[in-house]
Amino acid sequence: MSLLEFARGPALQWSITIFIVGVLWRLLGVFLLRSKKDLSEPRNRAAWKGLRLIGLRSWPRREFLEGTAFGEVMGYAFHVGFLVSLFFFTPHVLFFADVAKGLLGTDLTGLIGIGWPTLPNGIITFLSAVSIAALVAVLVHRIVSPVKRLISNFDDYFSWFVTVAPLATGMAAFAHLGGYPYERLLAFHLVSVELLLVWFPFGKLMHAFTIFAARGSTGMIFERRGASL
Amino acid sequence: MSFPTLGEALRSRGVSRRDFLQFCAATASALGLSTTLAPRIAAALEQARRPSVIWLPFQECTGCTESITRAHGATIESLIFETISLDYQHTLQAAAGDAAEQAREKAMKDNWGQYLLIVDGSIPTGNSGFSTIAGHDNLSMLKEAAAGAAAIIALGSCAAFGGIPAARPNPTGAVSVSEVVKDKPIINVPGCPPIPVVITGVLAQYLTFGKVPELDSLQRPKAFYGQTIHDRCYRRPFYERGQFADSFDDEGARLGWCLYKVGCKGPTTYNACATVKWNAGTSFPIEAGHGCIGCSQPGFWDQAGFYQPLSTANWGNARTVGTAIGVGAALGIASAALARKRQRAAEGN
Amino acid sequence: MTTTHTRKPEPLEFDKPRVSIAKPEYRFDMQGEMHDAERVERAMKSFVKDFGRTAAIYMESCIHCGMCAEACHFYETTKDPKYTPIWKLEPFKQAYKREYGPFAVVFRALNLKPRVTVEELQRWQELIYDSCTVCGRCSLMCPMGIDIATLVSQARHGMFAAGLIPHELWAVTERARLEGSPLGATPKVFADRLEWLADDHEVEIPIDKDQADVLCTMSSIEIMKYPDSVVATARIMNHLGVDWTFRLDGYEATNFGLLAGNSAAQKQLTMKLIDAAVACGAKTLILPECGHAYTALRWMGANMYGEPLPFKVMHIAEFLAEQVHDGNLRLKRLGKSVTFHDPCQVIRRGGAIEAPREVLKALGAELREMYPGKGTNWCCGGGGGVVANHRADGLRYKTFKLKMEQIEKTGAEMPVTTCANCRQTFDDGQAHFKWDTKMHSLLELVADNLIEDEA
Repeated sequence: MSLLEFARGPALQWSITIFIVGVLWRLLGVFLLRSKKDLSEPRNRAAWKGLRLIGLRSWPRREFLEGTAFGEVMGYAFHVGFLVSLFFFTPHVLFFADVAKGLLGTDLTGLIGIGWPTLPNGIITFLSAVSIAALVAVLVHRIVSPVKRLISNFDDYFSWFVTVAPLATGMAAFAHLGGYPYERLLAFHLVSVELLLVWFPFGKLMHAFTIFAARGSTGMIFERRGASL
Repeated sequence: MSFPTLGEALRSRGVSRRDFLQFCAATASALGLSTTLAPRIAAALEQARRPSVIWLPFQECTGCTESITRAHGATIESLIFETISLDYQHTLQAAAGDAAEQAREKAMKDNWGQYLLIVDGSIPTGNSGFSTIAGHDNLSMLKEAAAGAAAIIALGSCAAFGGIPAARPNPTGAVSVSEVVKDKPIINVPGCPPIPVVITGVLAQYLTFGKVPELDSLQRPKAFYGQTIHDRCYRRPFYERGQFADSFDDEGARLGWCLYKVGCKGPTTYNACATVKWNAGTSFPIEAGHGCIGCSQPGFWDQAGFYQPLSTANWGNARTVGTAIGVGAALGIASAALARKRQRAAEGN
Repeated sequence: MTTTHTRKPEPLEFDKPRVSIAKPEYRFDMQGEMHDAERVERAMKSFVKDFGRTAAIYMESCIHCGMCAEACHFYETTKDPKYTPIWKLEPFKQAYKREYGPFAVVFRALNLKPRVTVEELQRWQELIYDSCTVCGRCSLMCPMGIDIATLVSQARHGMFAAGLIPHELWAVTERARLEGSPLGATPKVFADRLEWLADDHEVEIPIDKDQADVLCTMSSIEIMKYPDSVVATARIMNHLGVDWTFRLDGYEATNFGLLAGNSAAQKQLTMKLIDAAVACGAKTLILPECGHAYTALRWMGANMYGEPLPFKVMHIAEFLAEQVHDGNLRLKRLGKSVTFHDPCQVIRRGGAIEAPREVLKALGAELREMYPGKGTNWCCGGGGGVVANHRADGLRYKTFKLKMEQIEKTGAEMPVTTCANCRQTFDDGQAHFKWDTKMHSLLELVADNLIEDEA
């Protein structure tokens, strides 16, 4: 079995399986923990309105901006570039459509009646490059900043690696970097994605899910008290 | 009538010296060699003793024979082919039955250690009754013939990689020549079928230089299998610009856009189709509007699907996902239950 | 009994790769005669008891962005990374992952998250108690929305269980638990004070009524240091014609159990107030100018009680604002420019953001807001037990500079607040820096500016 066949076949099946198992294990293992009811009299009864914290916390308050603007901007540069490259590049869209078809019996066009647009390759390439640059910037900052250096651990650096690898290998494959055999570059890209999937549930990448839970929890608790959001 | 050398055989057919030299120049070019080597190829071919070639057909569809012998008019390729001493070939030979087998055995004995063995079709390793020739099973026939061969050409994807018979679930236990023969030089010439000029080019190279041409990691001649279809495809600019046909005969298809989305495996397929093309340079699948199916790659039949784009893969199915969800949920519930238990125990004290 | 240990300070190793936990300069206090292993065991058990779904979500969510440091006054004024708020929780986080998280079984089996050591807990005492006022600015900053401040309060439970809290906090909590007040304002002392205050200021102060609509409470800080606040409370209640009382079986609103991490003491102190309110059938319990008193009863009281409280709980500032709103409280014009220092527990954490401002408006004061202000205002630096912990004085004075700068920038004539602990911190800071600005109490301002009806 060639590396590409392995990457497109058993490696993909196992990594998707491990991803699903790990994410559910971690999320349910947390959400099903004991939660004590708050018996205090609320200031605001509609605590659900606090869920707006999920949106609010997406940008710091003006008072906190001075020391945090760099991290926020770089964070968005990375996330936007990464997510656009992931969801709007034609070969990726084809993959997701295939998964949707396999799971739902119809591709997304059939399901929601409208197509899923793709972006021109040039834009994807540019945004991927921006994303990688942002990742490099935040890595440098993590090493140089005394605060981040103190609190960082293996998870921080490894998660960085498994995030940058698919971007870098993806660009390399797309560019047929150095004239290396395409099927090998493609295989590296797929394997790097599989590594990301396998690591995802066990490290800080889970913030993709927990961000809603954490912001939501705090939002509702604070809203109930009328505390500052 | 049999002629001792290739040159004599060609002259007897009325092939002029000029035509012959042109052929040699074209062959040199196709092999990626300098055309200054054309006279050397000419000299070698002219003096070449017609090698004995034994062609063993195993689990094959005869497509390789069809491709290689398909001649629209008297092309030089078919002449070359005829002037080899093809001592055993089911489709082309006149003899049949015992006479054919005796001809084979005699050719092997007379040319032991020097004959060229061409194999097409895969070799079944399951029940030996799956494929036999005159009562002999393929596997032992191959081993016997390989023992006396100078070199072996595994012609077609079946002989090179197992091909269609080896596709999941491989009911006959089909294997490639390389999996059976380990001690002889093997040249894989895959394709389903391979392009005619590829075989003649390989033969010409072998006859000229007396040795196996430069091969890639899958033992395919680099001269013909050194580049991907994608890298030589005339529709490549559309791929780069992200202009794809979404389905057959849609607007994009009619405009001749890239066929990636309808399943073209060009990016990962090594063959000469995009340059040499088929039917004496008439066209090739992509030009005709159908994506490359990757027929010169191992396991091309099992790559999820001809009409599935390359980026889709064997990711599993709803059942694998469903099982994963079940297992993950169970582990999550269990870990939460365990944590709660520890908590109650801590509170109890 | 507390024993105190001092170790030589070890400098932070900036030029080495991060290998292990940085070693801050530390001195730690210990209570009890337990073996190290037992201390850790008790801490772990306490952590496990505390963890619930919300705390677990927070523990799973930190992405080590370090932005919480930018919000913390201790980091801001020292630039020492060890004061990064989430770092204060590091042993707590490790304990969670090892003992309680979804992968706890795996972490324990493969020892991927080593057990918290007693040395770590000792080192962390300073971070959890000296350099955190539980002000909640970090919780307001965190991009993931983690309520770091609440987690620090929870971590203190484990520290207390392990006998590793600052001596002063241990001592005053014991005092509160045994005598009824952390500062010696026992019921007898309180009763005596009320008598001479009533006399001196010619104000009626009801004590131990069997029935009253409103139960008023005070903080020991006011009773002992700012007795004018007691008088002010009485004056205003009488002026408004409220049916109110003090009760000697439940008057102490501060809760050092909460600050120290002693849940049992916290509950005991809370129950005193609740029982007293129930005993006199009060419909409203008014909390004094105090920060953590508000958190302890308004938000945590019912959960300690086990059911919703049968009475309303209000901070005195909320009560005054309500009276202003209802038109019952008419006040003389203050005629001065003021700036308001927001007590963290009442404003940012407690939600009574506008109440003090409504009162200041009623006083006709020209309000010049600080920047950062309201919910994002800087902490006075003395909350959460820090002002009682003398080991932390140096650090606290550093953070106080932020407040002085803020206030001076407004150019206001007088700073006002509605928390006696903040006031105490300001007075101490004022003395230390020989600052010319004095902090005022909103309650006292109101009492001083009542428009008494011609009777």
